[in-house]
This record gives sequence, C-alpha cells and structure tokens, in this order.
Amino acid sequence: MAVGPVLSEPVIQVFQDLTIVVFAPGVSGAIAKIEARFQGRRGPRVAQPYYDLAKLFRKETLVPEDASWVFLAAPVAAFACYLTVPLLIPVLTNFGLPLGYMGDILGGGFILALAGFSIAVAAAETNAPYAQLGSSRAMTFSALIEPTILFVTFVVALITATDLPYAEAAANRTSLAAVLRPAHLLAAVAFFLVVLNDTGRIPVETHSGTLEFGMIDEARTLEHSGPALALLQWGSNMKQLILYVILINVFVAPWGLSGSRALGSVALAIVVFLGKALAVGFVFTLIDNSFSKLRLFKITEFMAAAFLLAVLAVLVLFVGG
Amino acid sequence: MGPVLLAATSNVAVPTTFDGVAEGLTVVILLSEFAMLRAPLSRSQIRLYSFQSLMVSVLAAYIAAAKGLPDLYAIAALSLSLKVVVVPAVVLRLLRDAKVELVASNRASVTSMTLLAIAVAVFAIFVIGGLPVHSTSLPTAAFGLSAAVVLVSFVLVALRSDVVSQAVGFFSLENGVSVASLVVASGLPLIVEVAFFFDLLVAVVVFGVLMRVHHNRTDTLSTETLDQLKG
Repeated sequence: MAVGPVLSEPVIQVFQDLTIVVFAPGVSGAIAKIEARFQGRRGPRVAQPYYDLAKLFRKETLVPEDASWVFLAAPVAAFACYLTVPLLIPVLTNFGLPLGYMGDILGGGFILALAGFSIAVAAAETNAPYAQLGSSRAMTFSALIEPTILFVTFVVALITATDLPYAEAAANRTSLAAVLRPAHLLAAVAFFLVVLNDTGRIPVETHSGTLEFGMIDEARTLEHSGPALALLQWGSNMKQLILYVILINVFVAPWGLSGSRALGSVALAIVVFLGKALAVGFVFTLIDNSFSKLRLFKITEFMAAAFLLAVLAVLVLFVGG
Repeated sequence: MGPVLLAATSNVAVPTTFDGVAEGLTVVILLSEFAMLRAPLSRSQIRLYSFQSLMVSVLAAYIAAAKGLPDLYAIAALSLSLKVVVVPAVVLRLLRDAKVELVASNRASVTSMTLLAIAVAVFAIFVIGGLPVHSTSLPTAAFGLSAAVVLVSFVLVALRSDVVSQAVGFFSLENGVSVASLVVASGLPLIVEVAFFFDLLVAVVVFGVLMRVHHNRTDTLSTETLDQLKG
C-alpha cells in the first residue's frame, strides 16, 4: 500500500492527533444516531456535535461568583491532556512515531486521570451541588476501577516485557495463538468493561440526560458555559475516541494500521480506524440499551466483575496461559 | 530513518492454539462458578450450572477431537445428557413444586463474596497449579483452574444459606472434579467419570429429598432456621 508521497514521521504523528480531534465529535454523533435508532427515535443528525461546538464557541463565558482562575483554566488543561494521549498510542501506524515512546500505558492513564482531576477541581470551585455530586461520583468510580486498569497493565507487561501499547499490539499481531490465549482474552474483556465505565455507559449511569440518579459525567460540567463548555464537550468526545483506540488498536483488532509512511497507506488507516470505532460504538450502544440500569450502589458488583477478569488474566499468565 | 518496528518480546511463551482454547474453556467454567455467586434467583443459578456443564462437555469433546481419545466422546455425551438436561430439569421441577422464587440468602455482599472467592482462587491456582502434574491431554494450567472451581464452589456453599444454592454448589463442585479428572486421568477417564456420575445421581436424589423435607417442614428453602431448637 505504498501509494502517494512518503510522509515524515512527525507529520504522521500530527495526523494521529488530528484524527482524534477532528473525528471525535463525528463518532459521538454517529453513536448518538445509532442509539436513537435503537430507542425508536429518529435522533439528531450525525454532524450535530459539530454544530453544538460551533454554537458554544460563539457564546459568552459565565463564571460562578466564588470561582477562581482554576475554573477557566481547567477545560483548557483537560483539552491539552486529551491532545497529548494520542501521541502515545497506535492510532494510525503499527510502528512507533517520534515522542511515541515517551510514555507507556500507565503514562497515558495518568494523563487521562489528570484531565479528570482538573475537571473535578473546577467542579469543586463552583459551590454548585450538582457539579460537585457529579465530580465526586466520577472520582469515586475511577478510583474503584483503578485496580482493574493496573492488572490489565500487568498483563500487558508480562506478555510483552514492556508497557508500551505499540508492543502489545505487535504481540497480538504475531499469531492466532497470541490472540486466543486466555490471558489476552480476559484482559481484553476487562479493559472493555473499563471503557464501558469511562465512557459513561456503566450500568448505573445515563450518559445523556439530566436525571440526577444516573448523572455522573454530565453533571460535572453543569456550571460551565460558552467556549469552556465547548472544550469540555469536545474533550469528552476525544476521551471516548482515545479509549476506543486503545481498546481496538491495542487489544481487540490491531489490524489495518499503516505499516509504511506513504500517504495512501496512512489515509487508508484513518478510514479503517473510523470503521472499527463505529463498530465498537455500535456494540457499546447495544449493551447500554439492552440492560436495565442498576441502583447506584450496585456499581461495586460491576467493578468486582471487571477486577475478577483482570486478576484471572494475570493468574492464568503465571501458570502458563 | 526508517520506521522503528518493535519485535514482540514475550517473556511468557505463547501457548499453542489447542492449549489456549482448552484453557479458555476452563476459564469460562471458572467464571460461571463466579457468576453463581452473584445470581439472585435460584432458577438463574440452575441455568448457570447447566451452562457450566455444557462447557465441560464441550471441553471433553474438544480434547477428544484434538487428541484422538474416543473415550472422551462418551464422557461428553453422558455429561451433556445428565448434567445439562436431566439434573437441571429435576431441580427445576422440585423448585416449581416449592413455589419459592427468591431466597435472600447471601451471608455477605456480592462484592465481598467475589473478593473472597478471588483470594481462594489465587490460592488454588498457585498451590494446585504448582504441583508437578504433567498431563498429555490438557495444559497443566487447567489443573489449577479446576481446583479453583472446587474451592469457589465451597465459598458458594458456605456463604449462601438456601438449599438450592448449596445443592447447585455441590453439583458444580463435581464439574470442577470432572475437569481435574480430564487433566490427571485422561488415560482411564471412562471408569473414573462414570463413578463421578453415579455420585452425582445419588447427590441429586439426596438433595431432592432434603429440599422436599425441608420445604415441607419450614415452608422455606432457607437454611437459616435450621440452627434453632424446635419445641
């Protein structure tokens, strides 16, 4: 697939970031459309998130009385975090790009956690009950899911002797046996559950809507407005697509990535990736809409199930699986 | 400067496809044991047992096909007809007569039970899996996993206080032993397995009588009242 001019590696790295930035709202819009179809509605058009962002960027920014500069800095900080993570993960290529090895899976996880932290700090600034309720729930749940993420990282480390997402993807491409090994399957399913949690589709959360029982991620940003809110929404779309990248291109289907620096090959990788992201989004929507929501405090059962899978993956590796 | 290609440097050897699939099936059997810890309805517990037994049959048939051991087809067929169809049907029939849908019987929360069961499974996998048992039919990892099935079913029996959970826990313990026997004694499995099946049938009859008598006396399937003196 060496079609077209050969790009330099920094340019491809910029393409990786742009793929996430440009297509994240579109993927969210497509998923919202699929979800509406499941519920028998016609749903908003696929490009609706772009229109929303354009509208919000034109609006004025209102700041709650007690809030300090942190309130306005947080959305920018979070957005910057979401711009950094795509540099570390295989969005388009199966080989490492410049700066691609500056952080491993844990490093990427830390940067994502930093984004969540800054949003939570901004919510704490507002003195508004709903924003604080949302951020405290989100922080609690991310702390509960943390052991699962750690054990998935251990599996990657044991399989590849590194923590680099590129290495795990390469290990999965070596043979069918590497994909079928139980440790990999268990870790992949555990990470699937992590993504389910982190994209606001855990079995207690209604990710769109303002019902306070199921409101977690949506509630955090209630006090923001204008461009700041636009950055937060865009960032949340990007976070979803970033997690899809890790799930798809590292664990589930690390095929279809570009193996060369030719423009045609990279462009093809973008198209293939968007197709895979929509397929994964379809599965998530299907799951989200086929199970009834649980009581909030049942969340520990879900977390325990994810933890069980991740722990079993490590155990099975130790006995040779 | 060409693209930097990363070689996959695995420090744990990749199992062969056969080993991977066989271990995967064993893991599914263990996971269904964990699912029984969570299942709130007696009915769903019996369905999970049926599913687990189905996986045991599939595992036996898979080994039979891959390793050319025709004896194991008989095991798979026996297990399919008895454990997947007959035993669940009998227990469901008993439940229908008892007319008790939901027995609130957890002695601990589902999360604590799961965490405890994880600890128990870690123990089983490391201690039993560490034994120098070398099987010709199944990867050694399956031995530790089957021991984990046995110990987790002990957790189920110990932490659930209703007759159905305890019966199902006992039956699924037998599933763990079946998998262990596939690892250890694939040379003479038919005799061993038939003995297990006989045990299982006796157990079904005993538990059936127990459930009937218990329900007739106390009007419930819970065993909580058993430690009280009757006047």
